[in-house]
Amino acid sequence: MSVPLLEIQDLCTYFPVRGGVLLRARAQCKAVDGVSLSIWPGETVGLVGESGCGKSTLGKSVVRLVKPTAGRILFEGTDLATLSVKHLKPFRRQIQMIFQDPADSLNSRHTVGSMLEEPFIIHGIGDEASRHESVVELLKIVGLQASAIDRFPFEFSGGQRQRIGIARAIALNPKLIICDEPVSALDASIQSQVLNLLLDLQQRLNLSYLFIAHDLAVVKHVSDRIAIMYLGHIVESGDGEEVHRQPRHPYTRALISAIPQPIPRRGRYRQVLTGEVPSPINPPPGCPFSTRCPHVQPVCREKLPPLREVAGTGREAHAVACHFDL
Amino acid sequence: MTSTATSNSPTGGEVLLDVQDLAVEFDTEAGLVRAVDGVSFQIRAGQTLGIVGESGCGKSVTALSILRLLPRPMGHIAAGRILFRGQDLTQVSDDVIHKVRTGQIGMIFQEPMTALNPVHRIGKQLSEAFLLHQDVTPRTALERSVEVLKKVGIPSPEIRVSEYPHQLSGGMRQRVVIAMALACKPALVIADEPTTALDVTIQAQILELMKELQEEMGMSIILITHDLGVIAETCDDVLVMYAGRVAEQGNSEDIFHRPAHPYTRGLLESIPRLEYPRKTKLRTIDGMVPGLLDMPAGCRFNNRCGYRVDRCSVEAPVVEACAGAHGVSCHRWRELPAWKEPVS
Repeated sequence: MSVPLLEIQDLCTYFPVRGGVLLRARAQCKAVDGVSLSIWPGETVGLVGESGCGKSTLGKSVVRLVKPTAGRILFEGTDLATLSVKHLKPFRRQIQMIFQDPADSLNSRHTVGSMLEEPFIIHGIGDEASRHESVVELLKIVGLQASAIDRFPFEFSGGQRQRIGIARAIALNPKLIICDEPVSALDASIQSQVLNLLLDLQQRLNLSYLFIAHDLAVVKHVSDRIAIMYLGHIVESGDGEEVHRQPRHPYTRALISAIPQPIPRRGRYRQVLTGEVPSPINPPPGCPFSTRCPHVQPVCREKLPPLREVAGTGREAHAVACHFDL
Repeated sequence: MTSTATSNSPTGGEVLLDVQDLAVEFDTEAGLVRAVDGVSFQIRAGQTLGIVGESGCGKSVTALSILRLLPRPMGHIAAGRILFRGQDLTQVSDDVIHKVRTGQIGMIFQEPMTALNPVHRIGKQLSEAFLLHQDVTPRTALERSVEVLKKVGIPSPEIRVSEYPHQLSGGMRQRVVIAMALACKPALVIADEPTTALDVTIQAQILELMKELQEEMGMSIILITHDLGVIAETCDDVLVMYAGRVAEQGNSEDIFHRPAHPYTRGLLESIPRLEYPRKTKLRTIDGMVPGLLDMPAGCRFNNRCGYRVDRCSVEAPVVEACAGAHGVSCHRWRELPAWKEPVS
């Protein structure tokens, strides 16, 4: 298919930083600063970055849990960024979200059954009997017993709770699911179960995912294409295998080199980055990575490098935001 | 159960810590639970031992019991010996354990914000260790604090000593906690998930720092983590725990290249690796870790194990030596198929 399902164009999401007696906005926290990203039907785009890079804010902006400051979010041609809540409602069915900690995102006072039924009620779908049937079916799809229907979230383990979160996200047959760190709270043996479930559901239901996580190995495994985010900007994007094999941005290289590999005494060269991520309230001028980059040049501190295609175009593009070809 | 713990590693120095048949129990409202059951291991001077396992496997409880820091009154050491330089820490007086805690064994916790006191300046918290254990004036203590902060790579330490923990980033806070643990040049440092709360590039910095400090100061480290990658890159020896018991132990070559326990193998196979082709099904371990109150009889892994036979649900396996110091707690380790590395 040649038309993207979701097309994010120059998206900016800023938060006011308030202070003083009158709580006036003193500054802006530029959480997402000019991001463009497309997702085609049936594909997974992985978004990787460290804490505070704006990856979750980007995900929340897409489902309009936060309102973007500027830019467009085209979902099948409609710009969601400016829609009113009323006009947004039909699109909420199409775009769902899975959160990191299912203990926080599930209401502890509701039974699993009533939580899974809620989306159907909100959107006025079916009668009581058919809704019950759908809930039982959903539980089966995510690998839970039908008896879960009358139980409460605390009666389940972390992995099972994440399955409930997934069931709720797929309830209304969405086209796109934003997965925000869906496995980072889970143990290794449970993490692989949930990743397999997500892969399986994508095939069965032809879902598209925006998969947000800090773990590059996890993201690369589930994604077709990946985008690396740093301080509100995408610094590199492209086919997952290619970005891993031939990383072009110094930050991507450092990130790959920092991942501890479960293979002992490899004696490999590790490029340890010095310093820390600057604050998005007061980002450095020019390239956001310039304060930590081992290859930094004077131009990097003055001009923001655009995300430019270095190989392929459109969906096949490998793009990098660096002034230099490393 | 202790037979395999005797190592004849040519690289290690004297045995610094020798834990024998440790059992820890918690008195809960639902009854008495055994969180750690028959765990034995040794650590030699200058070596790093990794304890790995999923949440609830008893790795942190094992670490806390070494310093007798178990939550009281619920938790207590029910059996076993913890020999530190030949002295049984389970038997010594509170005064002695207090001295050990602050002078000879340092502890690094996962979340540096909870390990630091938010209302005291960094310098004051660090000086405390020097004032308690070395006969120095407050001014000298502060000077030593600046020195030790410099050593852990904190820029402009003379300014940082007068700041509060909230003014530092997560990585810097963890460096302060490491500085505190190292202040009195301990022989052993216990690090409980020291990098789990940190980003991967900061984690690399901290692990590198710990490695450098170990080379310089020669202390032993017990590193507790759920991350097999961190274990592989930093540890000489590894203890794999499952549901309060030892599943497998050995040097890191044994554990990563010749894993003999079905659980160790399952863990190694289930982690996504950069080298795997995308979107392929990952191997999984079915089911989940049993709760402490409903442990299966026999081998605690038997309800999730692909090699289960009747004997496994009746008789608990003990740690047997497969080769040298490599020990495995499985009835069927000899019959398992040859291990195939997930990535060549």
